[in-house]
Amino acid sequence: MLRYLMRRLVQMIPTMIGVVLITFILFNLVGGSPARMVLGDKASARQLEEFDEQRGFNRPLFFGRTSPTRLYAATDFRRSAGPWTGSSGVVHHTEGFLRLTGPASVPFPLSFAPLPGHRYAWRLEVRTSGEGAALRVRDGTRELPPGASVQGWTDGVDAAGDPYRPHLDVPAGVTVDLVALTCKRAHARPWQSQWSHYLGQVLRFDFGTSHAVNRPVADLLREGISPTLLLATPILVGETVLSLVLALLCAYRRGRWLDHTVLVACVMLMSVNYLVWIVAGQYWLGYRLDLFPVWGFESWSYLLLPVLIGILHGLGPNVRFYRSIMLEEMNRDYVRTARAKGIGTAGILFRHVLKNAMIPVITNVVLSLPFLYTGSLLLETFFGIPGLGYISVNAINSSDVDVVRAVVLIGSFLYLASNLMADIAYALVDPRVRLS
Amino acid sequence: MSADVQIAVAVRSGAWAQLWRSTRARWCIGIVLVYVAMALYGEAVYQWHQWHDVVPSYQHQDLDRRFEPPGRDHWLGTDALGRDVLQRLVQGARIAFRVGIITSLIAIPIGVLLGALAGYFGGKTDDVIVWLYSTFAAIPGLLFILAIAMVVGKGLLGVYLGIGLTMWVGVCRLVRAEVMKQRALPYVMAARVLGYSHARIIVRHILPNVLHIIIVAFTLRFPASVGTEVFMSFLGLGVQGEPSWGIMINNARLRLWQGVWWEMTFVTLALFLLVWAFNLLGDALRDALDPRVRSQRT
Repeated sequence: MLRYLMRRLVQMIPTMIGVVLITFILFNLVGGSPARMVLGDKASARQLEEFDEQRGFNRPLFFGRTSPTRLYAATDFRRSAGPWTGSSGVVHHTEGFLRLTGPASVPFPLSFAPLPGHRYAWRLEVRTSGEGAALRVRDGTRELPPGASVQGWTDGVDAAGDPYRPHLDVPAGVTVDLVALTCKRAHARPWQSQWSHYLGQVLRFDFGTSHAVNRPVADLLREGISPTLLLATPILVGETVLSLVLALLCAYRRGRWLDHTVLVACVMLMSVNYLVWIVAGQYWLGYRLDLFPVWGFESWSYLLLPVLIGILHGLGPNVRFYRSIMLEEMNRDYVRTARAKGIGTAGILFRHVLKNAMIPVITNVVLSLPFLYTGSLLLETFFGIPGLGYISVNAINSSDVDVVRAVVLIGSFLYLASNLMADIAYALVDPRVRLS
Repeated sequence: MSADVQIAVAVRSGAWAQLWRSTRARWCIGIVLVYVAMALYGEAVYQWHQWHDVVPSYQHQDLDRRFEPPGRDHWLGTDALGRDVLQRLVQGARIAFRVGIITSLIAIPIGVLLGALAGYFGGKTDDVIVWLYSTFAAIPGLLFILAIAMVVGKGLLGVYLGIGLTMWVGVCRLVRAEVMKQRALPYVMAARVLGYSHARIIVRHILPNVLHIIIVAFTLRFPASVGTEVFMSFLGLGVQGEPSWGIMINNARLRLWQGVWWEMTFVTLALFLLVWAFNLLGDALRDALDPRVRSQRT
């Protein structure tokens, strides 16, 4: 048993890594930095940069020595002078370059003072008319030979604490045409990437901070779990019991009107959109008949209507599934034997078929356990139950990446865990299944 | 055409005949065709207004005629801005069909391709593909869809990608299992002996025999993606500025309390009927096309 468990756990590892990888690709690669989305349009470049620094978004994705930075807003000089507009001694030529005429020492127009301890890589493409022009960065000067691309490095802050700014020094009688200029953040350790940062977070179970409410995600999840369980447990139990009863009844009266009616009703129940259930339930049962409260989470009576709707919505597919399992079981040999012995249909169904049908039933129930966790997104949202589903929808609406990512991640791990549980339950219920 | 394909087609045509014999299936096909016509008409209206660059008639506001109950001018009444509910309903059908079709166009090729490769080649290929789809399957469905939509941005593109990129998993799993079964059959061996390439065997010989699975999957996924689009739009993550059924339900929901019942009723009815017809049709197709299930049902 233990060995089986261990082996299954090892088998789960690739899928877990896959889930982490997919969330990474989704939120870091496709989504990019959420800084602008989170902080709004009024945020300064420095604020955005600090936000990214905190969350590890300003590193290379998987591996690399450089990553983008907002320190200098690179522009195509064919269109405009960009941040250089207004710099003294710089003339913009629409052919696509900036002309610096000596003697001059022109500081680079930076968006903010370089952050402490950061290194930046500058890449220049220049045409110089003579010798002597140089790029002056923190660790020295670089001569600009005529017509070459030059790279320079600069530290963030010097020893005295003054922010350091790179300069272009042009001696008298020389002109420097700046064709292109880009700036990148330089990293000493190329493996220190967004991926390693994220992996570290996951391994430490550190889910980050929600920016919308400015609290640790773990706290939010801890608060959300109990309303979700209070809502989802009765739904799961009620749905399973009711579906099993109906499925048994259908199997018992197979081909009769009861069976047909239930089947037709199931397809109809399945076809009603969750939204319609919610809106109609709130309107008719909540408002018109005034039977239930429709919004909030103050006492158990607030859970009645959502639970009812949840059960109704899940009934259709479950009854159909359980019924087909029962019918499949009824074609087995042991049923024929029981019949030959003279046991009635009811006895066969409730004594023998139900017991044997338990395996797929248990699998189905166990596999829907993660549903307990994410709860019903819609039910919680529309009945104002502050569970995980409610939190998730709010987070999605406010682009709260950390919360969404944590919910997705934990939900997936729970699914994998319940898969494992289903397999174990299999083995416990069915002696024919060997755990090897 | 090889003998196997001929047999498969013969079985299939028998299946179509069986499907057509069922009154219920004929009704469903009829209902679906009405919706198809509605969606095509909606698309034509939409394209016409796009082409002429004028405010579409379904967006035309008439504040003097707000909340008009169904009548001669507006068959299904008007909404809070005096817009015609029927015209908006037709546009909703257009968007529902777009979502259903485009998500399938994303999901089915991915699912079929990966499923066929995994089932046919087995081994390492199979391991990688199974790993990929079990990873996707592990992520809670609706949340995954919403997360994709959030990352891609609000709008139809997010809906397409969100639903399409999660839906392929089911198709892939079914196709893989069926291709595995087919691969063991003698006709594949015969094709191998004849020296046909793997690509030819998969495309010309195996895929026609698993086509029924793809058809059934499409019919059953279609209503699911329509439903998902409706509540994505309802939550404000889906369609922006166009009359999707989800947006109409959201607007009508608040007016329901004031006794404006028509928009809500007709939209939910339209949605229900479409999904119901597709669900029934999917069942009938499964009965007709999948002989294994057929033997079990009776």
